[in-house]
Amino acid sequence: MVYATLLRPDEVAPLITVRDLTVNYASRGGAVTALDRVSLDIKENELLGVVGESGCGKSTLALAMIGLLPIPPAQVQNGAIEFKETDLVQLGPTRMREYRGTQIAMIFQEPLSSLNPVYKIGDQIAEAITIKKMREDGYSTVDSEIMQKTHKVVPPGVSKLPRAKRKIKAEIKEEVIASLKLVRIPDPDQVIDRYPFELSGGMRQRVMIAMALSQEPALLIADEPTTALDVTTQAQVLKLMKELMNKVKTSILLITHDLAVACQVADRVAVMYAGDIVETSNVYDLFSKPLHPYTQGLLSCLPTGSKRKIVLKPIPGSVPDLRTPIIGCKYESRCPYAMKSCSEKKPHLVEVEADHKVACYLHG
Amino acid sequence: MRQMEAILETVDLKKYFPVQRGINPFSKSRKFVRAVDGVNMTLWKGTTLAVVGESGCGKTTLARTIALLTKPTSGDVIFNGKSIVNGKTETRVVYRDLQIVFQDPESSLDPNITVGASIGEPLFGLMKWSKETVDNAIKKSLEVVGLPHDIADRLPGQLSGGQKQRVAIARAIGPQPKLVILDEPTSALDASVQAQILRLLLELQKEYSLSYMLITHNIAVAEYLSDFMLVMYSGDVVEYGQTEEIMAKPRHPYTIALISSAPIANPWKRNLLQVDIRGEVPSAINPPTGCKFHPRCPYAESICSQERPTLREISPGRLVACHFVEKTA
Amino acid sequence: MFRRSKEALIGGIIALGILLMAAVVTVADLLGVRITPYDPIQQNVGPPLAPPSLLHLMGTDNLGRDLLSRIIVATPNDVAVSLAVVGVALAIGTIIGSVAAFRGGLLDEALMRFTDVIFALPALVLACAIGVTLGPGVTNMMVALMIIWWPPYTRLARGEALRVAHQNYIEAARLSGMGTARILFKHVFRSILLTLLIYATLDIGTVILVYSGLSYLGLSVRPPQPDWGEMVSSYQDYLITAPWLPVIPGFIIALGVIAFSLLGDGIRDALEAR
Repeated sequence: MVYATLLRPDEVAPLITVRDLTVNYASRGGAVTALDRVSLDIKENELLGVVGESGCGKSTLALAMIGLLPIPPAQVQNGAIEFKETDLVQLGPTRMREYRGTQIAMIFQEPLSSLNPVYKIGDQIAEAITIKKMREDGYSTVDSEIMQKTHKVVPPGVSKLPRAKRKIKAEIKEEVIASLKLVRIPDPDQVIDRYPFELSGGMRQRVMIAMALSQEPALLIADEPTTALDVTTQAQVLKLMKELMNKVKTSILLITHDLAVACQVADRVAVMYAGDIVETSNVYDLFSKPLHPYTQGLLSCLPTGSKRKIVLKPIPGSVPDLRTPIIGCKYESRCPYAMKSCSEKKPHLVEVEADHKVACYLHG
Repeated sequence: MRQMEAILETVDLKKYFPVQRGINPFSKSRKFVRAVDGVNMTLWKGTTLAVVGESGCGKTTLARTIALLTKPTSGDVIFNGKSIVNGKTETRVVYRDLQIVFQDPESSLDPNITVGASIGEPLFGLMKWSKETVDNAIKKSLEVVGLPHDIADRLPGQLSGGQKQRVAIARAIGPQPKLVILDEPTSALDASVQAQILRLLLELQKEYSLSYMLITHNIAVAEYLSDFMLVMYSGDVVEYGQTEEIMAKPRHPYTIALISSAPIANPWKRNLLQVDIRGEVPSAINPPTGCKFHPRCPYAESICSQERPTLREISPGRLVACHFVEKTA
Repeated sequence: MFRRSKEALIGGIIALGILLMAAVVTVADLLGVRITPYDPIQQNVGPPLAPPSLLHLMGTDNLGRDLLSRIIVATPNDVAVSLAVVGVALAIGTIIGSVAAFRGGLLDEALMRFTDVIFALPALVLACAIGVTLGPGVTNMMVALMIIWWPPYTRLARGEALRVAHQNYIEAARLSGMGTARILFKHVFRSILLTLLIYATLDIGTVILVYSGLSYLGLSVRPPQPDWGEMVSSYQDYLITAPWLPVIPGFIIALGVIAFSLLGDGIRDALEAR
């Protein structure tokens, strides 16, 4: 079922809309609501940063959008994810494969476990490019796998030799080297013969970006892509992602716990707390006019100078245990402005200014 | 400038790890990982020295060698005015004044032992106090770090990351040390918890006149907490000076790249996208000849690949190891 | 703990029963009290080669001895040997493995190569050699097995100890002035004992089997002392004519092995689920 969005005349339809998504996890202490009626949208060609601390549900959101939630413990209770006039939540796992990796791609925090350690880098990128070629030629990725198994049909561009002996065909090799050059990997013609463990963390992450972007996806989800990298490498990779976003015309959903990273590269930011989105805004307004008390708290507890010049104001208390259901606003117990209505009913995300939404009774 | 007393000094400290060739355990290795490659540093009493650098720079090995958890390959460590390497001072005496708070709250406490037992461990082992004195000290330490007394009977698994880190701090300050090495004390914590721990560390430093050696790759935390900064690259010290001065005007080309790569939480100051650093951290077994940073340095000239630069004082209290430091003035 | 698997529960009950039986028999023996329906070595308490009946629940053997009594009295042999061997192997293996892991270097190499040498010795051949030199007997077989049973425990203990050795709390213990020995006792053993105990429980069944094999070969008891393995050997000629004679002892051996294996499985599943 497709929902019609009310747009202002100057607004463009978003690329992907998450609407009232609720995801539960069955855990030993009880069911945990990892996402509680979460709504957000991502426009075309923009970088949306989703910022939150551990347990806020940001990774669950990313996995839900690409259909990689581990479904026995996790369960999508409610909600929709609209992408190109299809509700991804309603698609079964088979149909979701049409989108995953092709129109919606994802890169993870630890590239060592995302790359297959026993295949060379070149082969893995070639596989990604081959899939794209097959899509272009009209094979759906699902059909082609079945075709390969049953009719022994080999898609164009793929060598007929058994996997171990297969050399990348010439025209694919060109594209593989081109994709490595795109992500600024030095000596690409040597790198294609290397194995993942021979590369550094930063290089592996670039390879992941190359593989993801070779599909020319409409949306690239990056779940903490630079958390495991050194500071200078992080800067290089983030800069690269931002440049490529414009070149390849992709949108990026960047999940991070580091608000500073979001400030540096995001166009818009969504702040999450304990399974809720508490504020979304373009990055400049979020920084200069943070509306939600949690956002304000987060900004004032970041060290931004010497101890002699600034005073850190930590947020008192700690994140609530999500196993006990909470009535009302989840931030209420730590909020300096808590009112009576805060503990009675959870505030909805409301647009307070142009493109600045907040879920707080202080603002409507 | 008031007279400053050094609580810790290292003199040409080196720690090399032999790389084993083949399966013969008796073969003498010819290759070494030069984790710490001749470090001279001073930590002034009552101050915080941040040792910053990225993976492979040797800062963790430096800390562990200073704390005598590994034996130095050569060089000297002078703590409280006395040399402590090569068994010249008994470790039990050293550890009464030198403690470490580790990075990972998950692995710094034995999961099978109660919190109170963990905090009491250094007190029993180093101070030779009676059980009663130790129990009182444990209670006091918990108070000081802002935890309730009854947490002493719990197991670490029942605590949050922030609470565990507080316990680790309580354990470290129990013996009333003079120097505490903080090894990435907040890297595994959320931002809001990090702020709590940083504030706690500052309070404790004032209250007990502690000296801190802060090992971190997080420039923002280093800037906030430290008075002096030591920048390391591939086992060498490349820059040293007062933190405020270095943050305002870094002089070594690596320091410039490092500081400009640190993300600032301000969308109007998008330093990250201006960063221009190429290449990767070099191999620790086969480092580049001469200055280890030269393959990545925009100012490198031929001498940089031939001669290793030494630390030179370019202004009072400011040391930089670079042949062409005037280029970054 | 046993919520997860019924088999483990059944195994546990049977294993417990066997242990209890061994204890009871040993105590009765010490007190000089007979608890079996008949005297196990007395011949002709019933007609020879009588099939199982109400009088003789497991029948009688070729010399008219009651099989059930013999089976009961033989229980402590297998139980004592398996518990003792596993216990000693656990102790030796834990200490050697942990010391090797923590000291590292040449000591580690030396200890592990020594372990490899012992590991290479075949159990049965060594047992036979000991049986020939020292003479047969339950104690001698126990010693033979103790000599060669500990290497897998060493390997396991060393692996587990290595995992623990790099934890920060071990370094914190050093910073508390603790020496290696105290660290091992206070921190390391507690962490690694669980894994080792699980392996040991599963191992009990294996020792029962190997010991039964040795006593089948005649290296253990001398008749008329009863022993499960020995019974299988001396009754095997009656497989067709009086099948209960070799089959029942063999079945009891298998039961013991299965019971302890299931118990070990159950413990492992319960602890891994935690």
